[in-house]
Amino acid sequence: MFGYYLNLALRSFRRNKALTALMVLAIALGIGACMTTLTVFRVLSGDPIPEKSDRLFYVQLDPQPLRGMLPGEEPEDQVTRLDAETLLREKRGLHQAMMTGGSVTVTPERGDIAPFYTDARYTSADFFPMFATPFLHGTGWRAEDDDANARVAVISRELNERVFGGQDSVGKTLAIGDTPLRIVGVLGNWQPTPKFYDMNQSRFGTVEDVFVPFSTSRDLKLGRSGKMNCWGDTGGDETGLNAPCVWMQYWVELEHSGQAADYKAYLDNYSAQQKAAGRFEREPNTRLRNVMAWLDYNRIVPNDVVMQLWLGFGFLLVCLLNTVGLLLAKFLRRSGEIGVRRALGASRLEVFKQCLVEAGTVGLAGGTIGLGLALLGLWAVRQQPTSYARLAHLDGTMLLTTFLIAVVASLLAGLLPAWRAMQVTPAIQLKSQ
Amino acid sequence: MLDMRQVTKVYRTELVETHALRSLDLRVAEGEFVAVTGPSGSGKTTFLNIAGLLETFTRGEYVLDGVDVKGLNDNARSRLRNEKIGFIFQSFNLIPDLNLFDNCDVPLRYRRMPAAERRQRIEAALTRVGLGSRMKHYPAELSGGQQQRAAIARALAGSPRLLLADEPTGNLDSQMARSVMELLEEINAQGTTIVMVTHDPELAARAQRNVHIVDGIATDLSTGPALGRVPRPGHGAAAAGV
Amino acid sequence: MEIRPILSTLRRHKTAAALIVLQIALTCAIICNALFMVGQRIAEMREVSGIAVDELLRIQIIPIGEEANAQAQTRSDLALLRNLPGVVAATTSNQVPFVNSSWNSSVNLQPEQERPTLNATNYMGEEQFMDTFGLKLVAGRNFEAGEYLTLEELNAPDRTTGYPSVIVTRTMAERLFPGEDAVGKSIYLGSSTPTRIVGVIEHLVRPSRQGGPSAREYTMILPIRATYDLGAQYIVRTSPERRQEVLAAAIAALRGNGPVRIVIDENTKPFSELRSEFYQQQRGMAWLLGIVCAALLLVTALGIVGLASFWVQQRTKQIGVRRALGATRGQILRYFQVENFILAGIGIVLGMLAAFGINQWLMSQYEMFRLPLVYLPIGAVALWLLGQIAVFGPARRAAAVPPAIATRTA
Repeated sequence: MFGYYLNLALRSFRRNKALTALMVLAIALGIGACMTTLTVFRVLSGDPIPEKSDRLFYVQLDPQPLRGMLPGEEPEDQVTRLDAETLLREKRGLHQAMMTGGSVTVTPERGDIAPFYTDARYTSADFFPMFATPFLHGTGWRAEDDDANARVAVISRELNERVFGGQDSVGKTLAIGDTPLRIVGVLGNWQPTPKFYDMNQSRFGTVEDVFVPFSTSRDLKLGRSGKMNCWGDTGGDETGLNAPCVWMQYWVELEHSGQAADYKAYLDNYSAQQKAAGRFEREPNTRLRNVMAWLDYNRIVPNDVVMQLWLGFGFLLVCLLNTVGLLLAKFLRRSGEIGVRRALGASRLEVFKQCLVEAGTVGLAGGTIGLGLALLGLWAVRQQPTSYARLAHLDGTMLLTTFLIAVVASLLAGLLPAWRAMQVTPAIQLKSQ
Repeated sequence: MLDMRQVTKVYRTELVETHALRSLDLRVAEGEFVAVTGPSGSGKTTFLNIAGLLETFTRGEYVLDGVDVKGLNDNARSRLRNEKIGFIFQSFNLIPDLNLFDNCDVPLRYRRMPAAERRQRIEAALTRVGLGSRMKHYPAELSGGQQQRAAIARALAGSPRLLLADEPTGNLDSQMARSVMELLEEINAQGTTIVMVTHDPELAARAQRNVHIVDGIATDLSTGPALGRVPRPGHGAAAAGV
Repeated sequence: MEIRPILSTLRRHKTAAALIVLQIALTCAIICNALFMVGQRIAEMREVSGIAVDELLRIQIIPIGEEANAQAQTRSDLALLRNLPGVVAATTSNQVPFVNSSWNSSVNLQPEQERPTLNATNYMGEEQFMDTFGLKLVAGRNFEAGEYLTLEELNAPDRTTGYPSVIVTRTMAERLFPGEDAVGKSIYLGSSTPTRIVGVIEHLVRPSRQGGPSAREYTMILPIRATYDLGAQYIVRTSPERRQEVLAAAIAALRGNGPVRIVIDENTKPFSELRSEFYQQQRGMAWLLGIVCAALLLVTALGIVGLASFWVQQRTKQIGVRRALGATRGQILRYFQVENFILAGIGIVLGMLAAFGINQWLMSQYEMFRLPLVYLPIGAVALWLLGQIAVFGPARRAAAVPPAIATRTA
């Protein structure tokens, strides 16, 4: 019967080309808008490191003075240098790393490439195993290099291409700022989306080009970038060890997510100790959020994108209402034929099924064209100058979702018209109007 | 075949009650050819609708080919209608989008018949009515008489036990009307029960038996063997002779 | 024109009527909010920055390694730039408008306050800061020669006082000292010593949008001679026609002055381009909203055309009867127009309620503002017009139904 109804639906389309085109276009527009915004939303709200996002945690402490404190307030979203170095030394997690952003000048040895300016990250050895960064050549540096302020660096694949033509550059030197650093590793293709480890840099931008041990970066006085918040007299040296400033990020990897409570207890204990020592003034007020919770807290999806998603759904809803009306018109126009079919033995259910098949077919056709419109829409998004523009691509899952939404939506739209159609009494008069 | 006892149909709206049929008694035996006559508004259309399971009735009993239709739900009635009854309408009622083959196909599809059997039955039915060469033609391409014959083929394709015809020659000229009536008589001769509603006395005379419905009550005017019930005195208007 | 027969006919076709009403309502609700958002974006793009955007150039320049003689190098660079032909003024600062990096401090009215009064951005301005950016004083004066300090002097360990003086914007002065003259008053910038307000400028926006629209102009200028490597930029003012020429000359001059430095080409451009890029997201969103509104109106119009055509077809006999009874074509046309007007009216009323509901929700979730009432009549008129245009075709077809139809059987 399904094949029969499909056949009848197609014939009906051929007979009512204008009306069918109108319905298909309406659904296509709605699907196109909806899928474009949904794809962008999905890309931006995805998990950047699914294999361990529930075991990676971001640490927040509250080192600020009592003055100005509001009860229940969230602590600062970065930590001080002293706290980061202390926690790192105490090594309570499986892996842990402190980090912050920077900008450096790179002067290639080859004279024909001009010196340029690029983003850097100053961090500690565990960064690479903790975030499971792939390496094309070499590895990250070791903990001993952190302690020794070693003159080493890890570079990105793009930088390696640009300066060394893509060869294995491990062991070569690269002048960062004034100082030559020895390359110990070249990263492979690594593009976490979003760049979750530092919410103060371009959240959907590319990974930094140069990674340097934090201690080395202080030694060489390399320029920092990112957010810094100071609350006291820094005496002109905000990056000093004892400066009353938060500007570092601290991540820890635990063996399994169940250990989070224990680690938080450790952080609370640490805060209490700092208070007893007179350095912290407030009661322990710590946070330990895993990757997705941290992204959520930072409202990672820009407001505009969420607004666009709702707009897309609203548009689809209007298109569906449209389709309901047009389907109703289409079916009721044929009430004479429906009456005859009922007289010839079609039960109400059969009429209902026939109408739904017709609605679903319109949905499938609309979904196909809507897919084309969505591809067009995503192309338009990629032309925008936003940081996430290049990520707007339709993948396999979204492709299937497009058709699924189109068919389900059109079936829903067809429910009311089909129900009305099935109420038509069996009649032996074909009203030819 | 068709056994109606005391069938009453009342249409109720907010303000008005209309009695379309009042305690109608009618029996049709298998193989009979019965003509049902009566003035407009008499209830013969309602009778046909009830006979064809297109409408329900308020009171009474109706047994169709041994099946009591009271209490059957919509699905069961549709199935019964599909398997046992063939309809022939005044305005043919062929579906204009479909060709003759597909038109005859419609009732067979609802019976979930396999494709081979459907094809065989349709071809046989269309050939029987003389339209075997026009299977792929659309109704708009045929004359009135041919369309009515196609409708008859559609009615026959499912091997119905009862054919219900509503003014089958109403839209045809006299020559086509005659050929259609000949076809009906032929079908009846082969054993199919036919109940035909008409206002044309000439046509009614060609049937074996006449039933006259006036004000919702049926009166037998059989010219052949009396198989219906004799009108009881005091039951409303007597019929005038034809 | 009798309304009652129209209403009773609509009551008998409840489903189709409800569908038209719902479509119009939903479209109205979405469009009212969308147009409001477009209006907001356009207002944002039109904001007054306070600087002479079309006359300014930004040159981003970085030393390789540490800049050993930052002060001397900066003074030399500025002298060089100021002597170039076509250059009206040149300066350097820690930050500039339309670039997303910004320096902020808490501002207090009393030395020991629990919570700061507000958070303002601070530009470090040297002698030619005001002239280069073209800022307008509306009260008080610019800084005097002796007031300027370097960062080293400010951070010297034996220094006991904070910033001696500051210039604020009018918005900030109003917020701190409403209704009063702010010149001469003192504020506290993270230290127990007061900082005196010596001048008030008309406009100067923050570099980024931090703090939201109300804090857009909480701006201060501190008399600090920043070195060029602090903000990694020079700002040069010239006349609009000579911008490209002066930019090229300035870059060449800086490259030749002192040790090798990197000029970052992608960030070295006229301020008019920086401004345009800064508003790109607003522009994009405004365009998107506009397109969606247009598409919504189109879809709703097509829906109305479809349903109205169907209705006309259903009622062909009725129309024929009316014509046979003496109705003119114009009356039939008007019948359908009035019917559509009523439906649109109901839809619009529902739509406006829904528009407010949506706006409330957006306000709670996404920091929107309350929908100003003026958008409601705009939406209403748009949809009424749309309905009338859409129904015109089917209504004309209805009017063309010949009276003879009345006598034909169904």
